[in-house]
Amino acid sequence: MEKNEILTQVKDVVSNVLKVDSSEITDDSNFIFDLGADSMQSVELVAGFEEAFDIEMDQDRALEVQSIQDAVNFIAEYV
Amino acid sequence: MEDLQQLRQKNLETIFYPKSVAIVGTNKVKGTVPHDILDSILKADFNGIVYPVSPREKSIKGIKAYKYVVDVPDDIDLAILVFPSSVCHMALEQCGQKGIKSVIIISAGYKEVGEAGLKREQQLVAIARKYDMSFIGPNCLGVINTVPETNLNASFAREMPEQGNIGFLSQSGALCTAVLDYASAKHIGFSKFISFGNKADISEIDILYYLMNDEETKVILMYLEEVSDGKALMKAARDVIEKSGKPILIIKSGRTDEGASAAASHTGSLTGKDEICDAAFEQAGIIRCNNIEEMFNKAIAFAYQPPPKSEKIAIITNAGGPGVLTTDAAISTGLKLAKFSEETTSILKKALPATANINNPVDVIGDARSDRYLAAINAAFDDADVAGVFVILTPQSMTDIDTIAADVARIAEGQSKPIYTSFMGQKDVASGIDILQTHKIPHYILPESMCTAFQVVYHFNQNVKTKVRHLSALDNIQVELARKLMDKVHANGRSYIPEVETIEVLETYGLPVPQGKLASTADEAVKIAEEIGYPVVLKVVSDDIIHKSEVKGVELNLGSAKEVKDAWERIHSNVKKAMPDASITGLYVIRMIKGSEEIILGIKRDPSFGPVLMFGLGGIFVEIFKDVSFGVAPLSRDEAMHMLEQTRAFKILKGTRGRNPRDMDSIVDALLRLGQLAVDFPEIEELDINPLFVLDKGQGSVIGDARMILTKTV
Repeated sequence: MEKNEILTQVKDVVSNVLKVDSSEITDDSNFIFDLGADSMQSVELVAGFEEAFDIEMDQDRALEVQSIQDAVNFIAEYV
Repeated sequence: MEDLQQLRQKNLETIFYPKSVAIVGTNKVKGTVPHDILDSILKADFNGIVYPVSPREKSIKGIKAYKYVVDVPDDIDLAILVFPSSVCHMALEQCGQKGIKSVIIISAGYKEVGEAGLKREQQLVAIARKYDMSFIGPNCLGVINTVPETNLNASFAREMPEQGNIGFLSQSGALCTAVLDYASAKHIGFSKFISFGNKADISEIDILYYLMNDEETKVILMYLEEVSDGKALMKAARDVIEKSGKPILIIKSGRTDEGASAAASHTGSLTGKDEICDAAFEQAGIIRCNNIEEMFNKAIAFAYQPPPKSEKIAIITNAGGPGVLTTDAAISTGLKLAKFSEETTSILKKALPATANINNPVDVIGDARSDRYLAAINAAFDDADVAGVFVILTPQSMTDIDTIAADVARIAEGQSKPIYTSFMGQKDVASGIDILQTHKIPHYILPESMCTAFQVVYHFNQNVKTKVRHLSALDNIQVELARKLMDKVHANGRSYIPEVETIEVLETYGLPVPQGKLASTADEAVKIAEEIGYPVVLKVVSDDIIHKSEVKGVELNLGSAKEVKDAWERIHSNVKKAMPDASITGLYVIRMIKGSEEIILGIKRDPSFGPVLMFGLGGIFVEIFKDVSFGVAPLSRDEAMHMLEQTRAFKILKGTRGRNPRDMDSIVDALLRLGQLAVDFPEIEELDINPLFVLDKGQGSVIGDARMILTKTV
C-alpha cells in the first residue's frame, strides 16, 4: 500500500475516533496537542487503525505513536 | 547564574501576581486535573483574565477557548500547563513564542518516572532557557496566592485557603492537599502556597528568596524530601533570617540511613545523613519539625502573637491538675514561672475567691466564669515580670467556654505580650477552640506543645535572629605546603592515608601534632625516644593496617631504651601473626600524654552539605555511646563551641567531681582548623583524629592518632 493511501485512511480513522473535522487534520497533527485526544481515545485510535488496515500492532509501540505522520510510518511497517 | 536567579525572582512575581492566566491543555471533563485547575481559578474569583486553551473546545464554562496559546490575541502573564508530559514541551515552546515568561507545569511523567522522564524534563529546561522563561514544577499541585487583589488558586486543591501570613512550600503535592485540609479546620491562613514538585527550574531556594521579600509572608514552612543542595539551602536560610527576620520551619522526611555502618572511619560510622541534616539546619537557624502538627503548632505561635521578651510565663487555669501539668511542661522546656509583684497578687486577691491560688500558676477555681479569667489575665499582662500568658481551661458545668474564648481573643488584641491557650477536652470545648482559632489565638491540645512553641519562638527571636556569624581568619596555615603533601600522599591512587602522613598534613594547618618521628629500626626508635623524652608510645605504620590495636600494633607508656626495644620486637611479632602479608613501613615513636581527656574529631564529606565536622568523647566506646555532635564547615567560633555544648562530654570537659576543667579553646581551635582544611581540600572524604588528648585549661591538646580517606583517583 502506498503511503498516500495510508495517510488518507489514517486521517479518516482519526477524524472518526476523535470526532474532528477532517479539514482540521494536517499531516503533522499531534493527536493530543493539536487534536485533543485523551488517553482513552489513544487506545481507541490504535484499535481503529488495526480494524481499518486489518493488522495487529505492537500495543506498547503503537501507543507511543503521537502524530498522523508517526502513524503512517508505523502502519507502513505492517501493510 | 546570578542573572538566572534574578530572572526567576522576576518571573516568580508574575507567577504569584498575574493579571492574565492561560490554562493550556484544559478540558470539560469534571474531576480531571486539566478541568479542575480552571475550575479552581474561577471558583476563587481570580482578579484577572482567564484564557482556556484547549485543542478541541470552542468554549469552557462560558469562556471562549483557544486552540493554541499563540492564538490568544492578548498578552498573557502566566501559563499553567496541564497537557500530558508527552506534549508539554510543545505547549511550552508555544508559550515561549507567545512571550510568556512565567509558567507552572502541573503535569507528571518526568524525572519521577525514570530516565525517559528525566530527558523530557531536561527538554523543558532547555526551552525555558531559550525564551528566558521560568517555571514551577513539573509534577506539582500548583500555586495559590490568597491576596485579595489577586485571589489566585492555580492548583487542583479542593478549596482556596484563608488569607494569612504563613508561606508554605512543598516538594510533595499530595502533602499540600493534606496540609490545606488540616489548616482549613483550624482556620490557619496562608499568604502563598506553593507545590514545587520536581523543581526542574525554580527551586525551593528561589522560592525562599522570594518569600523573604514578600510582605504578606511572616513565617515560612517547607516540606522537603531531598536536600539537593544543602549549602545553598543553608545560605538562603541564613539570608532570609538575617535580612527579614522570618523564621523557617522545615519537615525533612527520610530520617533513616542505611549506609553509615559500612564506613571505614569512626567519623563515617557515627555520621548519618539525618544527623548531618539536623546539625546543618540548626546551624543555619532552620527549625526542623517532625510532622505537620508540630510544624503548625510552632508556626501559629510565630504568625499570630508578638514574640515573648523573656522565658517567664504566667499560667491561668481553672483546675489544679492541668496547672501542674503545664508547670511541669514549662519547666522541662526551659521556661520559667514569672514571680508576681505584690501589686499583682493584691489585685488577684481582690478579684478571686479566697480559695483561689493567687500565685503563679493562678487557679481561678473550677466554678470560674469569664469575669475571673479576665481579671487574672489582665493582672498577669500588667505584671512586669510576665512575658507571656498561658490560659488553661477545663470544661465544667458552669464554665462559659465560648464567652471566655471570645474574651481571651478580645483582650489579646493590641497586646505586646503573647497569649497562648489550651482548652482541654474535645466535644464541649470545640466551639470555644473554634472561636480562638478564628481570632488567631494559638490553641494547643497539649500543654507540652504550647510550652515548646513558646520556647521555640523565644529562642528564635533572642538567639537565632540576632546571631551575627563571624568566620575568624586562622593564622599559621600553610596551604601550599599542605597541597604538596596532599599531592604526595594521594599519588598512585591511594585512598587510605595512615597516621604519619595524615599528621604531616594536619601540622601544616596548625593542628597540635604530637612530638614524634617514624623509626625504621629499634635503635632509631630508642634515639627518637631519647630526643623527645620518656615515656613514649610505639605504633605500627602500615598502609595495610587500619585498626592498629586489633593487630596489637600499639605499645604504651614505654619508659626506657630496653622497654622500647622489647616493644619493637613484640609489635613486629604480633603484626606478623595477625596480618602476615602486611607491609610495615616502620614504627611511629611519639611522646606519651598523661592526665588528659580523650576526644574524637572528624571530617566527613556529605554530598549535599559538603564537609561536615564531628566532635565527641573519644575512647574505645565512642561508637556505643554516640555522644557526638556535628557542624558544617567552615564553622564560626560560636558554632564550634556550640558543637561541644551539645554533648554530654561538655560537662566532663568543663570539669566535674574534682576533675580539672580541660582546654576547650584548643578543641574549638582544632575544629576551626579542621574545617578550613576540609574546605580547602575537597579530596578529603573522611578524616579521624582519635584520640585528641585534651589537657587542662590553658595547656592545649595533642593529637594521639589520625588517619584520612581521600577520594579514589583513577
